[in-house]
Amino acid sequence: MKAQFQHNLTSSFFMWFDNFLLTKGEAYTNTTGEFFYYDDTLIDSRYTAFGSPYKQWVSDSSIAGATVPTGVYINGNLSGRADGVVLDFDNGRALVSGASTSDTITGSFAVKDFNVYFTNDTEDDLITENKYVVNSRVPSGPYTYITPYDDVAPAIFLAASNLENKPFAFGGMVDTVVNMKAVILSDDPYKLDGALSIFGDSVNEGVEPIPMTGYPYTELGDVKDDSYNYTNVKNGYTEEVPFYIKSVRTSKLSDRARKALANELYIGFVDFDVQQHRYRFS
Amino acid sequence: MSKLPLDVQQAIKRQAPRLLKKDFKRLVEKDFRKLKQRMIKEFLENPITMEIMGGPSSPNLSGSLDGVTNLFAFIGFDQGEDPIGPILARLEETHIQFDKLITASSSKMGMEFKVTLPTAEEIFAITPLPWASGRSWAQGIERGLSGLGYLLRKNEGRSGAAIQSRVKVRGGRFKNRPYISAFLRKYKMKFEDLK
Repeated sequence: MKAQFQHNLTSSFFMWFDNFLLTKGEAYTNTTGEFFYYDDTLIDSRYTAFGSPYKQWVSDSSIAGATVPTGVYINGNLSGRADGVVLDFDNGRALVSGASTSDTITGSFAVKDFNVYFTNDTEDDLITENKYVVNSRVPSGPYTYITPYDDVAPAIFLAASNLENKPFAFGGMVDTVVNMKAVILSDDPYKLDGALSIFGDSVNEGVEPIPMTGYPYTELGDVKDDSYNYTNVKNGYTEEVPFYIKSVRTSKLSDRARKALANELYIGFVDFDVQQHRYRFS
Repeated sequence: MSKLPLDVQQAIKRQAPRLLKKDFKRLVEKDFRKLKQRMIKEFLENPITMEIMGGPSSPNLSGSLDGVTNLFAFIGFDQGEDPIGPILARLEETHIQFDKLITASSSKMGMEFKVTLPTAEEIFAITPLPWASGRSWAQGIERGLSGLGYLLRKNEGRSGAAIQSRVKVRGGRFKNRPYISAFLRKYKMKFEDLK
């Protein structure tokens, strides 16, 4: 199936959301440290996995001040993508072609304050069922790698819910409003309040439509074409009608309800109404 | 029948609104009161309203949960809570405000008036979810509700029916229903038709 309106909205909103949080909140921490070898049978056998203690890393080079890695140090020598290094930003690790498990790998990167995921899980599942590993951005040690693939907190889960089309103009133009939801799981209330405040203020923002082909990541979690800059990507689509953040409501899980949870996370919600005037099937 | 002279017609148009002001008011107020009563009755007879007013032991009258539990428990209200009360109070506050007389300059004769019917947004603002006060349960009925309130109450062990149910209820089981927005849209049109 070719990409439809909902697909394009989803990918565009995801990229916008991540960039907005990192830009407005400077929601990242630059870090330098050692990577740790682990066996990962899911990756191609030519790669050896070395994980950092954190995921996700910032991959967007439009974020001022954030260290976006272009390689890692293998036994003290810088190696980049041309040397067979794949940077898996999502899982916070380097996949090194031809490396020995005893190699010493170090690197510098910016770790996000909140991981951002797109999900089909319901809020109930996200909050009450899933047992998250808290990937603290202030670990007390001992340092080791963070296990790949599983979602970790602090995190923000994005989901699209209802879509409603109403007649808008002669010729078949419709007023489309989609409800997008964000569930925020934070390990501290300060960060939760910060994220809620940033997105509460996102009303009236425009989100440039970036088609699925503009999605910046490869199947290994690295960026396509060796770099990703959200500002440059969105500037490539300025002729498209932007999505408009028509309204935003933020709320927090009440303290009383929070005490009934099995985890110690602070939980918030952001409900967006995203609008676009468009022709159907476009 | 012969027409009244123009100056007489104009004099009637000029004087009648002032002389008939009391009658205009009385007639419109009477229709307004009837319509308001009908609106409140219809709201109270709405299956969603009735189900929530029925508390934790109410059957799932609205059919929104396939009869597994009821909206009161699903949303996560405490026993004894009255979630409908604020909506009802706001509907009761609907009143009519008479404005200026429509005089001879117009082809019509009478008085302008406003009806202070609440908007859906006003209702959403006074219907917070018990577990996340920035969200509205009334809006959730229309757009979708997660089963979080139900599950949290179950863990907390404070609810009535919720803790007794062993059936797992998830957000996916909830079926959206038209509620406040459609209801107010309908009555907005009816109040606009008052003459």
